[in-house]
Amino acid sequence: MVYWRIIRKSYRRNLQYRLSHLINNVASSIFGLVFIAIWMGVLRGKAVHGPYDAETMACYIAICQSVLWVTTFMSPGLNVQVGVRSGAVSLDMIKPVHYLWYTLSQEFGRLLYNACYRSLPIGLLLGLAVGFSFPSDPLAYLLFLLSLLLAAYVGMLLFYLVGISSFWTTEVRWLHLILLSLVFGFGGQMIPVDLMPGVLGQLAPFLPFAAMIYYPVMNWLELAPVYSIGVQLLWAVILTVVALAVTKQARRKLEIQGG
Amino acid sequence: MIEAVHIGKSFYLSPENKGRFASVRTLFSREQREVKAVDDISFSIGEGEFVGYIGPNGAGKSTTIKMLSGILHPSRGEIRIGGYSPQKDRIQVASRIGVVFGQRTQLWWDLPVKDSFEILQAMYKIDSRTYRRSMELYQELLDMREFLDTPVRKLSLGQRMRADLAAALLHDPPVLFLDEPTIGLDVVAKTRIRAFLKEVNETQKKTILLTTHDMDDIEQLCKRIIVINHGKKMMDTTLDDMRRQIGLPSLIQVEYRQPPSLGAELAGIERLELSGNVLSVHFDKGKISSPRILAEVAGWGEPLDIQMKEPGIEEIIRLMYR
Amino acid sequence: MLYRKLIAASLRSQMQYKMNFITSAATTGMIMVLDFVILSAILHRFNDVAGWNIYEVGMLYGISSASVSLYRLFAPEVNDFEKYVVHGEFDQMLIRPVSPLLLLLTRNLDLSRIGGIVQGVAVLVLSLAGLAREGADLLWLIVFSPIAIFSGGVIYFSMALSSAALSFWTHQMRDILTFTIYAPANASNYPISLYPGWLKWLFFTALPIAYMNYLPMLALLGKGGGWYYPLLAPVAAATALFLALTFWKIGIRHYHSTGS
Repeated sequence: MVYWRIIRKSYRRNLQYRLSHLINNVASSIFGLVFIAIWMGVLRGKAVHGPYDAETMACYIAICQSVLWVTTFMSPGLNVQVGVRSGAVSLDMIKPVHYLWYTLSQEFGRLLYNACYRSLPIGLLLGLAVGFSFPSDPLAYLLFLLSLLLAAYVGMLLFYLVGISSFWTTEVRWLHLILLSLVFGFGGQMIPVDLMPGVLGQLAPFLPFAAMIYYPVMNWLELAPVYSIGVQLLWAVILTVVALAVTKQARRKLEIQGG
Repeated sequence: MIEAVHIGKSFYLSPENKGRFASVRTLFSREQREVKAVDDISFSIGEGEFVGYIGPNGAGKSTTIKMLSGILHPSRGEIRIGGYSPQKDRIQVASRIGVVFGQRTQLWWDLPVKDSFEILQAMYKIDSRTYRRSMELYQELLDMREFLDTPVRKLSLGQRMRADLAAALLHDPPVLFLDEPTIGLDVVAKTRIRAFLKEVNETQKKTILLTTHDMDDIEQLCKRIIVINHGKKMMDTTLDDMRRQIGLPSLIQVEYRQPPSLGAELAGIERLELSGNVLSVHFDKGKISSPRILAEVAGWGEPLDIQMKEPGIEEIIRLMYR
Repeated sequence: MLYRKLIAASLRSQMQYKMNFITSAATTGMIMVLDFVILSAILHRFNDVAGWNIYEVGMLYGISSASVSLYRLFAPEVNDFEKYVVHGEFDQMLIRPVSPLLLLLTRNLDLSRIGGIVQGVAVLVLSLAGLAREGADLLWLIVFSPIAIFSGGVIYFSMALSSAALSFWTHQMRDILTFTIYAPANASNYPISLYPGWLKWLFFTALPIAYMNYLPMLALLGKGGGWYYPLLAPVAAATALFLALTFWKIGIRHYHSTGS
């Protein structure tokens, strides 16, 4: 099937950089260690808040850093804006594959590569530093995998929407930064979503950003709320509908206006 | 003015490793392969000379220019520009040379051309009187008034090249290095730039070193030619001598409706190559003119398409070693 | 004189993209606010970090944030230096009768970083107000803050310049920056005492961020530490700058040998 081939090619294309990436993983791990240290400092000598004692928090941060490479550190705009700027997008749109799936497949190949060469090593390094935490129930592994895939999918769609906005605006750089801030802010990267105070704490678990980071991590820790997969699925469906509609609009714009 | 004494430039590359941990091995490998981009070249260019520096791709032309302008330091040998060394006296040499890279602009991309000039005036400490005089002169010669206020990114290639040339000459340097200045330009633009360079060289006695792949550039501008290949100097002679030695090779390609019947050999035609319906006529422009050739070959069949080509430097080098 | 002209030119070229400037400034401001909201959320929940209360952490955060933004305001081309080495654009810097570093610094200013400086100063002001309410003596804190921010800016610049110099050999810089700028920038928002031994050691030596806010605040907030700690900030900045410039010159010499 053509999409599988695109995914494979994309995976292979990223392989050539693996040496520099492996070195970079050490740098990323340091980031993780910094965050963990901060939390250790925060939690030292305090009563346990919810399920988060020092160890669990450390694991939370460690798994977060690992998961980020599959669900959040994607090509800005999925590189759609690059094609728009160079004009290559017109060629891409007349290919006999649907542009949305084509773009997602390319990125998914890269995410598979990231899973092997980024998430795994970083998870390993951080695990060595703070201890490993594995799910006890085999069902939990499956749940985690499902959650992770949904998280990656939701993430890809959000990035795609940023990228395809380049059909109407010129610079997506700022939109991309806004998205990243929202993801990092409300997705649970720095602070678990259920610990957020006030209105934030009530809203955030239902935003797509939590679907990208918080839920997969919590599923691994077997601490996820029952509705986690449900929220992820809901956003997956909503965003798919939106993405398809926007793609159609973009194609129409291309046909009318040319390059 | 420009002295190069036995200059050489070697780069050391790690050999490509194959195998499982190839990239890791390369990181730790101490083996290095020496690549001599420039291998013992010497020449001396006097004030007011206009020299063409030609050779096939990879011959070492750009590397030489980079060494002369101070970007690279030679691995061996010495360079003197107006008595100064680009390595030891970079700043002095920088104020005495003008450099134009055909592929890249030296100007500030988003600003009007005029702004770039004003910045350069401050940078090279040009006093207002000299600045005004230069601006008037080059504006006139290069007809820049129409686009002085246009941002550089909006200029056409021809306009940008003119602006780059003026910018390079603004501080009145005695020496000019031009790396493929006419590349990508149409015939009109090329003619205008060539006229400008000729004027600047003859009137102001500027020493110019020009690298190019365009033989017409050479023919019209350079009185002296240095040919290099594989980092070594092959030939250092005047244009006339080169003409005498190897002629001025030229090429006309004619595509006929059907394979032509070749007529009598004319003096001046080096050789004919027939491939299907396409006839390549290699001739010496010094011995026979293009119109004459065209008149002849038109009668050999029914021409569908005629192209005049300048054979590459490779052809010239090939001819040198006949 | 020349510096002024070059800066004016780069400002003018940015003004060409007016809309972009407004959105970028607004976005940066928004991002930084979000950043701080998260921090506040954590501290609000947990009251203090290793014995530093929210206002004391705020002092660290404000100085750190403003310092990084100051560096990125004035030296965006150093941050993005990778493209010069990889695409051979550095050649152009070497044919002018001025130092390549000056050309690099004047090529561009990242005005959107003003948002970051404003945010850092705002946090600083709020923290000072909080400390005042707790009865602290603000005089030396206020006097020292601008020195800290300036020293911090120089320290970040030095780390970035060293990374740029390193890229003359490694031909890439973005990954190195994660080590030398992005991770330390995050880490210096909090007390250095939080971090494991080897990391702490790093922040006192190769990545000297401890001197710009942590050590001075130890002294000024009465948490221990010698009276001379605040003086270490400009000293560390000057030392770091000197070392960075030396390394940079060595890097240029290497570039003269090997090109791009």
